[in-house]
Amino acid sequence: MTDLTSEQTQALILRLTVLADDELLLSHRDAEWTGHAPILEEDIALANIAQDELGHAMGWLDLRKTLDGSDPDGLAFRRGPDEFRNSALTELPKGDWAFTMVRQYLFDAYEALWQDAAKASTHTPLAQAAALALREERFHLQHTAAWVERLALGTPESERRTRAALQAVWPYALGLFEPLEGEQAGIEAGLLPDPTQIKARWLPLVTAHLTRCGLTPPGAEPVARGTHTEHLALLLAEFQGVNRQYAEMTAW
Amino acid sequence: MNGVDVHSAQSQDAQAPDTQWPRWEIFKQDTAGKVHQAVGSVHATDPDHALLTARSVFARRPAAVSLWAVREQDIFSVTREELENGQTLPGHSGEVQSYRIFGKKTHKRSMTFVDELGMLEAACPQAALEAARSQFGDELLAWWVIPVSAFVGSPEDAETVESWFAPAKDKTYKQQSAYGVVGKHVSERNPRVKHD
Repeated sequence: MTDLTSEQTQALILRLTVLADDELLLSHRDAEWTGHAPILEEDIALANIAQDELGHAMGWLDLRKTLDGSDPDGLAFRRGPDEFRNSALTELPKGDWAFTMVRQYLFDAYEALWQDAAKASTHTPLAQAAALALREERFHLQHTAAWVERLALGTPESERRTRAALQAVWPYALGLFEPLEGEQAGIEAGLLPDPTQIKARWLPLVTAHLTRCGLTPPGAEPVARGTHTEHLALLLAEFQGVNRQYAEMTAW
Repeated sequence: MNGVDVHSAQSQDAQAPDTQWPRWEIFKQDTAGKVHQAVGSVHATDPDHALLTARSVFARRPAAVSLWAVREQDIFSVTREELENGQTLPGHSGEVQSYRIFGKKTHKRSMTFVDELGMLEAACPQAALEAARSQFGDELLAWWVIPVSAFVGSPEDAETVESWFAPAKDKTYKQQSAYGVVGKHVSERNPRVKHD
């Protein structure tokens, strides 16, 4: 492994935290459908996706631990809303099925492209973790892309809901690509993908699919990362509740 | 009584449209050298959707390299008892086409019921069944005869195969029989108590 400067280490730590926080919260939102999805098969499929995203979050936090010795459980369960670095995209309530599928589709496309680029990271553990996660992310993307298509081209009701979902999540999705503070040090060293290059691949990919589905992305300004909604604190209260209640537990 | 017509309500209920999506029977191949086996069914809107949900339902943890899906109405099935009672499959001779033949060999396995036996050409399902009975033996408990044209398969390109099936290799998977049953701790302490 290459020796990292302090700036490079900080850039890696921040990006890993951002990745993990997005996946933790999205996993929780997806898991809220368990037992409530429109059909049993999709209930199972979305629970699978939720488990995969949670697994990826653990992977990123385990990597962070090798850099700063931080405790993954401590980060997941004992930080407050103002310490979370997720995009507000992932904290928004689950909404209807169209909202969940459109959000997941846009996020899966971003993640798959980011992980594909991160396979070339000069930080070998990151390259390996990205390659592992990418396999599952490609499948998520296929599944959610299929749903966006079927909802958008389905009934007038499903089309209306899909359009409304796209309108609502698009500005948040654009915010996924904003560079993080200090990230340039990691990008220049080949440790981290350049988010603006990820966006340059993401935008034509999702626009082509949405267009095939008769949808047009709205013109909108990105919602910057760090802008949280009132939903985050409630989500964390539920997500962290058991861990905080039994703070003395040493094994789960 | 005002406004409650039990008989009418019942008949309406009986005629209520089936809101379920079509049912697809799913066949899974565990490794490249093995045959496809029926593992269960999914409800789905279309072939691609059936395969996507089948991957999540049947191949998240169990080993797999390929999935097939077939709509339930494309499966011609008959049991040994039905054959003994003289039941036949549709016999209108038509174009000769390829059929895949599946058979159930035993009641003793917990998970898989019907295995692929092979392929043959026939002019109708009944002719395919008769050919299958002489070709694959006549001791099976059930036969499924399915036109090859009715099958849709999971994508075969390397990237998709890896994406759909490789992650399962890193996950723990046990058949339900591997888990302890109620009372197992008692039988382990006392060998005279048997729980099967």
